[in-house]
Amino acid sequence: MPSDEKALVKLSLPLEFQQDIFKELREEDELVILARGLGLLRVVTNLLHSYDAVGNNLILLLGADERENVWIGEALAEHVAISMAPKARGLSLVNTDVMSVGTREKMYVQGGIFSITSRILIVDFLSGLLNPETVTGMVVLHAERVFATSLEAFILRIYRQKNKAGFLKAFSDSPEPFTTGFSPLANMMKNLFLQKPALYPRFHVTVAKSLEGRKKAEVIELEVPMTDSMREIQNAVLECVEVSISELKKGNAGLEMDDWTLDSALHKNFDTIVRRQLDPVWHRTSFRTRQIVRDLSLLRTILQALLTYDAVTFNRYLDTVLAASQPPPGSNKQNQSPWLFLDAAHTIFDTAKRRVYAGKITNADLNANPNTVSDLLHPTLEEFPKWALLAEILEEIERDVYFNPTLQDGSNGSILIMCGDQGTCRQLREYLQTMHVRTEENNEDDKEVERAPSASFMMRRKLRNYLAWKRDFSRVSASLFSENQKTINGMADHRGAQGANKGRPPPNKRRRVRGGGNAASGPTRGANGIIHNAGDRDAHIASLMAELQPTETEAMQKGEIGADPLDDMEDYYELLDMSELIVVHPYEGDMDEHILEEVKPRYVIMYEPDAAFIRRIEVYRSSHSDRNIKVYFMYYGGSVEEQRYLSAVRREKDAFTKLIRERGNMAITLTSATLDPQESFLRTVNTRIAGGGRLAATAQPPRVVVDVREFRSSLPSLLHARGIVVVPCMLTVGDYVLTPNICIERKSVRDLISSFANGRLFNQVESMMEYYKSLMLLIEFDATKSFTLEPFADLSAAAGLGANTVPDLQAKLVMLTIAFPRLRIIWSSSPYQTAEIFSELKKQQEEPDPVRAVNIGLEAGEDVEGRTFNQVPQDMLRAVPGINEKNLVRLTLEVRSMFDLANMEEEEISALIGKEAGRQVFKFFNRSVYDHVAI
Amino acid sequence: QALPARSGPSSILVSPRQKGNPILNSVRSVAWEYSDIPADYVLGATTCALFLSLKYHRLHPEYIYNRIRDLRGQYNLRILLTMVDIDNHEESLRELSKTSLINNVTIMLCWSAQEAGRYLELYKTYEHAAPTSIRAHQSTSYSDKLVEFITVPRSINKTDAVGLVTNFGSIRTAINASPEEVALIAGWGEKKVQRWCNTVREPFRVKK
Repeated sequence: MPSDEKALVKLSLPLEFQQDIFKELREEDELVILARGLGLLRVVTNLLHSYDAVGNNLILLLGADERENVWIGEALAEHVAISMAPKARGLSLVNTDVMSVGTREKMYVQGGIFSITSRILIVDFLSGLLNPETVTGMVVLHAERVFATSLEAFILRIYRQKNKAGFLKAFSDSPEPFTTGFSPLANMMKNLFLQKPALYPRFHVTVAKSLEGRKKAEVIELEVPMTDSMREIQNAVLECVEVSISELKKGNAGLEMDDWTLDSALHKNFDTIVRRQLDPVWHRTSFRTRQIVRDLSLLRTILQALLTYDAVTFNRYLDTVLAASQPPPGSNKQNQSPWLFLDAAHTIFDTAKRRVYAGKITNADLNANPNTVSDLLHPTLEEFPKWALLAEILEEIERDVYFNPTLQDGSNGSILIMCGDQGTCRQLREYLQTMHVRTEENNEDDKEVERAPSASFMMRRKLRNYLAWKRDFSRVSASLFSENQKTINGMADHRGAQGANKGRPPPNKRRRVRGGGNAASGPTRGANGIIHNAGDRDAHIASLMAELQPTETEAMQKGEIGADPLDDMEDYYELLDMSELIVVHPYEGDMDEHILEEVKPRYVIMYEPDAAFIRRIEVYRSSHSDRNIKVYFMYYGGSVEEQRYLSAVRREKDAFTKLIRERGNMAITLTSATLDPQESFLRTVNTRIAGGGRLAATAQPPRVVVDVREFRSSLPSLLHARGIVVVPCMLTVGDYVLTPNICIERKSVRDLISSFANGRLFNQVESMMEYYKSLMLLIEFDATKSFTLEPFADLSAAAGLGANTVPDLQAKLVMLTIAFPRLRIIWSSSPYQTAEIFSELKKQQEEPDPVRAVNIGLEAGEDVEGRTFNQVPQDMLRAVPGINEKNLVRLTLEVRSMFDLANMEEEEISALIGKEAGRQVFKFFNRSVYDHVAI
Repeated sequence: QALPARSGPSSILVSPRQKGNPILNSVRSVAWEYSDIPADYVLGATTCALFLSLKYHRLHPEYIYNRIRDLRGQYNLRILLTMVDIDNHEESLRELSKTSLINNVTIMLCWSAQEAGRYLELYKTYEHAAPTSIRAHQSTSYSDKLVEFITVPRSINKTDAVGLVTNFGSIRTAINASPEEVALIAGWGEKKVQRWCNTVREPFRVKK
């Protein structure tokens, strides 16, 4: 780098290891794996800026998510302002919503730094909009996501094939994914076309030195015991988890299940572990297995909610869980989640309720003398132990500030409270605002009571809200549930008639279950709890409401806290001096660095543990030698929270150790650059064809037209790797066009199931039928999944082919082939296999014409870009009653979004799609669930 | 030819060649009878099936081509019911995929005798059935529709759906709700709120 350029670039990397990384990166291409919280993005932005300041370049940033884009954009702008580099242009974003092809092309010519969505970049590379040779360099974030068949790897391959001179740097701050599989690091390096990994764990010498060399941050660790009821609930949930796991094991004998223990169930990613293990056979698992897997993630959410939601909200959440777990209508089996039948489940719901209000009540009592009710029932409103502790800490800080007034340093005396998410933030904010509001009238008691802060005001208000909500809710669930019940009744009757001649199980299953429920009241609460609730809740609520009438002091307290937290924050900043601020903020990954820099807190309270944030504080502390910082760190002892934190720290350390070991004996691929195309072509020429040269001289390279939406899958990448030219186009009909006659619709097994369910596949095949001679449905299995559709369940059980049974996947395939005898099915065990089949099918056939393929299915004069739809809102629309494939198109063309559709009048909708359908759609959106009116 | 028309509509015709094939034991809910036919099975007026085990195919690759030739273009829908009973099936399946295109046969894969038998039964049972259940959405109760509608965006589950409607009363108000309001519901984290609010506001059509 010439010296005059150096003068322009001002860096903001105060720590030694950061400078080391930067220097290394300027010199050579490498993969940097940095421990979380050590300021990865800061290194990235400095690096980008150093290139940006020079000007005349085209740098592509790959894999950045939305937040990181904002961060990098701001940081770059800041750098430009500071170093006043005239040529720097900052970051430009490229994503589909904003730019058309024309603008993109213009921007690429201008140059600068671009953060591009991979799907757009690959299309631009392949369609020639952006020539890889003109790219100065690429920076890849989240390198852990670049696996062999991913889009990013595809992009890098094209880039490296065409452009050998440009630089390529990759970054990652999560080492764990690099440790699974066989020699994972080496493989990853191959995918990234890089040779040198640089590992910077927290225990790296330079890192440790730069963080610990100077004065360390003062950390006070506080272990808070959980309340008894919290522990009770936690144990009960864990018991449910245990039972679910054993149930899962029972249902899936023959799978590797050593890891499925209660211990691992505490981990954050337990359900992903289970899913990963089940994924290979997912399309074959039984309904029950899937349900249990869903239950497991639900239970984990409950476990998390126990520690974050206050008692009232937690109970409310459980109410919703219970209502949502009602058996689906028309289920002819007992489809309840197994954990709901356990005693432990009863404990969960019961204890959660007791944390909110207590008191025994029977309907008989209630009817006899309603006046005494309010005495029997009273709110308990358990508070989190952490709240009291938080208040205590704040008081201590206040005292501390009072006794040791203004230290002369750079921080400004504010207090930063960090917690898990926005919800907790809101809760804490509300608590802090109201903790000194007394609820009892007799304020002038002794001083001690006066001074103890409590959340009772907040909790009472929450309870009032809850009760109001509960009133609606019981009505909603009654109306929704009664509907279900009716269907079940109908179903049961129907089955009763059928059962008579088929000798099936007892016809009225529902009644049997309820009978059992009455006999053993405890465990089956889940099965019919709602009915009970609906019955006695009104009385409960009335009594509780009476008790909860706001007291005078409460009524005096005004304010709409929690309505719009961000506006609140703005007010804060305007009104108060920075030094007296209490800022409550959620953990937000790299953004936290900004928070620390902006707030410059003297005190930090970590309401929940977070390993990365501790490091961020270390970095912050070491970067500013003039600032003192004191950290309080609290967690519930013996809780899942503690376990999770410890295991996260351990896993990261283990991952780094493993990586360092692998780097030590890693084989390096020196010739990662691929063969030159000429040579690779000659290699594939079949020498057994006499005079094969004739082929080579005249043949065009094989070509496949691919729909741009298909670039989410790995198939285009594999086709390209086989030497087939991939032409990305916006296709209306089909996914791949192999020859002028052959059109292919690709479905993974999961897509297949869902597109059968909503009827999309039928329509797709229908339109292919219209335009192509040979139409093929490609059923593609995942390479890691088992190559079979056969379920685990005994087939003989499903053999009854009554008109009533829901047709399974096989039956639907049969129907499809009967409806379209011309449709051929390709069964492919993996994308690799598909690529081979494609080139087999293309042998000695003409090449497809992209222009024709694009125009097929479009009406005359129609523009391609006007016909491309967003998938998810469309799928939602498909679920609306009254919508079929025909009026779906009409609606999507005429109406802007779901939001607009929901707010349209019935007449407007009817004008578009007809009277009956319009009525249905309108009713779907506008029907109030509080009404009992049946549809 | 007159052959398929003559058969009784209620039973599957089986060629005597198939005698001893274990998949016949799994055909239980539909009647079948032996008959002198060029195909292995006749499953309807215009539907026939040939049975092929990949193990056999590897030993006698020419067999299936002879059988297809013997069909002489009869039948509208010609199923090649292929039993995958070997591990390295890739090459055979690749070849058969090409064949299916050239010779107008539709490949159906099965992995066990039961499954094969079930396919035969299914073809017979659905012979005259209209493809209604794969054509459009099967309508169910309102609450089901509602849950289904809300759970389309990824990561939103049934519990969230119930929470959402009970909080807002109707789908319209739920769609109109601002992200801050939705975030107040228990169980709705930032990601879900974002996904929900973005999806309902996202235009159906990708604008230029």
